Amino acid sequence: MSTIVDTWREYSIAERDRRWNGVRAGAAMAGLDCVFVPLGNSIDARYLTQIRGAVQSSCIVLPTDGREPTVITEYGTNNWISEPHKVGRAWSEPMAQMLLDAGMQRARIGVAGLKGGTFSHVRSPDGVVNETPFAHVMQRLPNATFEDATDIVGAVRFVKSDEEIALLTRGAEIAEAAIDEIVKVVAPGVDASLLYAVAMEKMLEMGSEFYPLALYIQQLGAPQGRRWTNPPHGIRLEKNTLITDEVSAVWGHLVAQEDQPILVGSIPEAWKPVIDVQRDVFYAGLERMKPGTTFGELNEFVTGFGASRGLRTMTLMHGRGYGDDGPLIVRSEVPPGVDKIELQSGNVFIFKPIAQNADGTIEFTWGGDVVVTESGARPLFKRKHGMIEIR
Amino acid sequence: MTAAIGSVLMPSPADGPWTGFSLAERDRRWRSVRENAAKAGFDCTFVPLCVDGRNLHLSLEQARGTRSDIRYLTQLENAAIAIPTDGRSPIVITQRGEGNSWVTEPRRAGPGWFPSWGQAMADALMELGMDRARIGVSGLKGGKVTHGRALDGVVNHTAYAETKRRLPNATFEDATDVVGFARYMKGDEEIAALKRGAAIAQAGIDEMVRVARPGMNAGVLYARVMRRMLELGSEYYPLAWRISTIGGPAPRYEEAPYWIQLDSMDVVAPEVDAVWGGLVAQEMQPILLGRVPEQLKPVIQLQRDVFQAGLEYMKPGTLFGDLIDFINGFGAKRGMRTIILMHGRGYGNDGPLLTPGDISADHFRDVPIQKANAWVWKPTAFSADGKLQFSFGGVTIVDDDGGHLVTGRTPGMIEVV
Repeated sequence: MSTIVDTWREYSIAERDRRWNGVRAGAAMAGLDCVFVPLGNSIDARYLTQIRGAVQSSCIVLPTDGREPTVITEYGTNNWISEPHKVGRAWSEPMAQMLLDAGMQRARIGVAGLKGGTFSHVRSPDGVVNETPFAHVMQRLPNATFEDATDIVGAVRFVKSDEEIALLTRGAEIAEAAIDEIVKVVAPGVDASLLYAVAMEKMLEMGSEFYPLALYIQQLGAPQGRRWTNPPHGIRLEKNTLITDEVSAVWGHLVAQEDQPILVGSIPEAWKPVIDVQRDVFYAGLERMKPGTTFGELNEFVTGFGASRGLRTMTLMHGRGYGDDGPLIVRSEVPPGVDKIELQSGNVFIFKPIAQNADGTIEFTWGGDVVVTESGARPLFKRKHGMIEIR
Repeated sequence: MTAAIGSVLMPSPADGPWTGFSLAERDRRWRSVRENAAKAGFDCTFVPLCVDGRNLHLSLEQARGTRSDIRYLTQLENAAIAIPTDGRSPIVITQRGEGNSWVTEPRRAGPGWFPSWGQAMADALMELGMDRARIGVSGLKGGKVTHGRALDGVVNHTAYAETKRRLPNATFEDATDVVGFARYMKGDEEIAALKRGAAIAQAGIDEMVRVARPGMNAGVLYARVMRRMLELGSEYYPLAWRISTIGGPAPRYEEAPYWIQLDSMDVVAPEVDAVWGGLVAQEMQPILLGRVPEQLKPVIQLQRDVFQAGLEYMKPGTLFGDLIDFINGFGAKRGMRTIILMHGRGYGNDGPLLTPGDISADHFRDVPIQKANAWVWKPTAFSADGKLQFSFGGVTIVDDDGGHLVTGRTPGMIEVV
């Protein structure tokens, strides 16, 4: 009989109550009678139930008035949800019934995941909700109103608890261990698919859930090539091959990410000032990331940082958490409304500002997971800054 | 560099990369969809933006299945397509206008890094003159031979609702089977890709047999198998397995179960999936960390026999209903029980889907087996008291003389002693 190893498996009940009460408070402020996470939005459903579907995940109705939520799922129970309602492969009617059972016939129902939000589902402007069952729900509750409530769940996800930060720290450790494995095998002549394979092996054996490794592999100075999220095909490493990676590990449901450029060869002189300014803007940015600083202020600081050295710097960052976390700032483009949002203690980001030379022909990015504290942001990882050279 | 995996000589991904399907294969698929749409009376077939399986924490098959139709029709991971039935060129929409050898003139969904898709999808349909058309939508519901695990479909609500709002005089109807029955028949290039995938999966099994030992952490074993398949160039597709004692409860894991340490006489029953050319192959091979006990041997023998008999039975023209009855009745002659277990192989969530939860499958008993169907064939045998069971299987391709297991492995339990 196989043996069960003692290791982390579930969140505490206190963490569940923190999340549920945070969502209830947001819903009350918005005047919603409940928050509904329908089929399709498995990320928010997992955040609120811990159920990771072997099949369709779960749906949850969380009444604002403090009543216990209703959860439906095909498989899965845990210390948070001891008796979910079981469904088969057809979800439409059970979804409608759970709202009816909760007395939401004429309610204002907040739907998480109908659209992209500020703090979550930031890459999905059309949301993540599945059409057929949601259309059925609206048909079955013709006197209820359905409104987007993505940011109500998102705002709770935006601030991490100590429990979550500890798990993200472990995730960062796993991602760094994978980077170490990549570094071990990088050499001229190596099949690039091996980099993917050894990194994934390391993360899986350390207990990470799967999350695609992202790789860019091209000659130093060449335009950025294809983004590989599966093993690269048709590539053998050569002298001056530059490997840029986003190594993501998932521990405690939370996605950590570490980015570590690796060069087969020696760093050319022309690259050194770009790498230096990236280091400096990274650490200066951490000092700026104090509670109360707005994303607009941070972006302005990062974007203006390189000019005094005749170089360019840009903000590249996004939230870390259950997946598709925000805010998302790509190449200093701040989404509408995000510039006025203040950082809070307990926010966690992948912070990886970009540095370029004056004509943009040299670009360098490096970064990792950081948590906002009263004295500025603190890295959750241990690596030293810089490009790793394999000589 | 080339390695021999079973009977397949396999170059490394660096030297023998996947380079995509031919334009002839694209045209075969589009033509088949047009023909099915014409029979159903649709003016066009529309695959809208679908939900993202990767972020949904679905089962393996469902996650791959959510955007499987669009991969089938474009070789792109995420896109929308409208294919007029009358033979005109389709319009394809992608997030930022990215295309490939099949889709040389894609439309951008909208401005910005992450645009909304609804308007662009509506514009495409209107440009094709579908303002008052009968539009077949693939993925609104589960179909007979695709999306079988997604009875509520896979379409994104917000983008689809916006598209419909902009075409108030068009009718939108489910057309999952229009694309599904095109996917059901594999082309020669697809069969070659599935064979390569099956060989990679076999290499994964070989690695598991090589390293599995009592006392080993199951997460480490999982990682070793995944590494082997990834270094051979498979896309990542999670290994799914059951770990149990003989006759004991057999929970299913779809991630690395890092909290389990293997022991002697554990049965490790993996479904090893490898993805080549976007197509998901699967090989199933139970492994016992010990010697097979006497009481299990007749069950394994029965499974071997029903496996082979089923291959011979699945000739083109045979109805699924007949195959189901043949397999489900096979074991009774020996005082034991057999049930059918199989599902299609392809871009993900392929059918027909026959599992222990639905072994009668009334909704596709009338579907005929056809040459060039591909599935994972893995019937299950039970002891008389139902306490012992055994299943083995792999990618099977239907030819004129019945089904063929492409790896040529022999059904049975592998003992690791």
